[in-house]
Amino acid sequence: MVSPTPAAQRTTPAMSRFWQRRGGKLMLYTYLTVLALFSLAPLALAWSTAFKTRAQVVSNPYGLPFPPAFENLAEAWTSGRFSQYFMSSLIISLLSVVAMVIVAPLAGYGLARMKFWGRRLVVVVLLIGLTIPITAIILPLYTIMRDLHLLNTYWSVVITHVAVGGPFFAFIMRAFFMRMPEALADAARVDGCSELRVFWNIMLPLVRPGVLTVALLEFLWSWNNLILPLVFLTSENVRTLPVGMLLLTGRFSTDYGLLSAAVLILSLPVVVLFVLFQRNFVEGLASGAVKG
Amino acid sequence: MAATASTGMLTRRQVQGKRLRRGARRNLTAYLFLAPALILYLAFVIRPTVELFGLSAFDWNGVNPTREFVGFDNFARLFADPLFWRSLGNNLIFVVLLVAFNVTVGLITASALARAMRGRLIYQLIFFLPVVQASIVTALVWKWIYQPDGLLNNALGAIGLGFLSHGWLGDPNTALPALALAAAWSGFGLSVVIFLAGIQSIDQSLYDSAKMDGANARQMFMNVTVPELRPVITVVFLLEMIGAFQTFDIVWATTRGGPVNSTEVLASFMFKRGFTDAEFGYGASIAVIFMVIVLGAAIISLLLRERNED
Repeated sequence: MVSPTPAAQRTTPAMSRFWQRRGGKLMLYTYLTVLALFSLAPLALAWSTAFKTRAQVVSNPYGLPFPPAFENLAEAWTSGRFSQYFMSSLIISLLSVVAMVIVAPLAGYGLARMKFWGRRLVVVVLLIGLTIPITAIILPLYTIMRDLHLLNTYWSVVITHVAVGGPFFAFIMRAFFMRMPEALADAARVDGCSELRVFWNIMLPLVRPGVLTVALLEFLWSWNNLILPLVFLTSENVRTLPVGMLLLTGRFSTDYGLLSAAVLILSLPVVVLFVLFQRNFVEGLASGAVKG
Repeated sequence: MAATASTGMLTRRQVQGKRLRRGARRNLTAYLFLAPALILYLAFVIRPTVELFGLSAFDWNGVNPTREFVGFDNFARLFADPLFWRSLGNNLIFVVLLVAFNVTVGLITASALARAMRGRLIYQLIFFLPVVQASIVTALVWKWIYQPDGLLNNALGAIGLGFLSHGWLGDPNTALPALALAAAWSGFGLSVVIFLAGIQSIDQSLYDSAKMDGANARQMFMNVTVPELRPVITVVFLLEMIGAFQTFDIVWATTRGGPVNSTEVLASFMFKRGFTDAEFGYGASIAVIFMVIVLGAAIISLLLRERNED
């Protein structure tokens, strides 16, 4: 709608604020777009370079990969042994997810719905566990895993993931259980249901979104983790993607096509999951920060 | 209590016994629910934590069946080691740079997003995309960007700032800030969404009355948003600090502490002494200091959080 504006009105405070707001909006979106470029450019660079031939990397470093070439991906996947690293990463991540999805809801339910002796102490000890840095205990963890003969097995990494992440995910599940109405569970208890059945048949189905969040975040962390497989898994047949990539950067530090293919293989599964379940990732990670 | 009324036939002692048994059973059930998490946690987090303190009192290469007890010698050596102080200093600089970036950019971006009616979700998605990337991806991509013939120098050249270009990670003066920027890239999206959630929970009437008083966007940000968000800012500040202090991957995958120790941080320093040099006792003493600092910051943040919730 276009209506002629009387000249007198142009100088009123209301009008000047309008222009200020117009200018503000422009600045707002300029700022957001520049920051979005900062976020996106490094990834876009790597993802597009993954589809370039060696010649294209030199002649057209920042353009789109046209025509797309798959030789880097093929090389990383086969002679770079990334197919094998991919499988190791996948096995470790899936085992960690399955274990965490069992361990965390049980503990979260216990913390949210049960009164027991020493409950405050358990909560405090688990809260401390939220902040013990894994790098600080990696030396004794290494000797423990060695003495248990678990080095170079997937279990060393899976067990540590679940042990270290357990408190965090238990608190996430606790928050979900605390939001659920207690009346349903009480009714079932009156009918003679055991606590385990109340948990399994009534409460757990109600907190399915929480379980999904736990599964996604645990997958993200075990898929991306570097230090545990770096220390525990030294033989090549159990090597994971991040460690494989670390070694690749040492040996082929300037073969950007190959390195980019490795980046793509590592980040694609996580990016797909993130785009599909954005809310779970964002809320899960932010809740850990705000609620503890 | 209801229990006494319904069991009127029982003596007082029987009732007490029954209550006790029921209490014991309830405890047992609760601990069975907690058992898997607690056992793993005690065996693979608490036990190594305790062992770490013990380890720091020995001279041990990690393999020999015998280890030599040296008391506090490792700590004495540590405090006399210039590389320890260098690592600690680098670590603090890294923390300050990273926290300053993530808190300011996070806060400004969140308040911008709160005012952006269009495209808020897509911007949030883009800012968060680096957060879900593996640290090795961040390290590798930024190492490449910082190369002498990399994206950063080419971009500087394109806008006429070519005189600034150099090998960012090869220069001891720029390597640490360059790594902090890479870490900020991968982390600021999280602080954005935390601040955004905080802003959205601010009472809208505060903004309305500020607007009626004729406040502009900047004034509303400084006089409404920032004071109202103070608890959230404190939490993000401490969390970022704790996270930044633990930096290891990004250093290990790019500079390994170089050039000339300019990016050595406590975690990489410990990793080298412990695993590369096989000095487990010395490495453990570094880890003890590391842990004391992180736990101290974490306990402060927990106390502040409790106070905020009251």
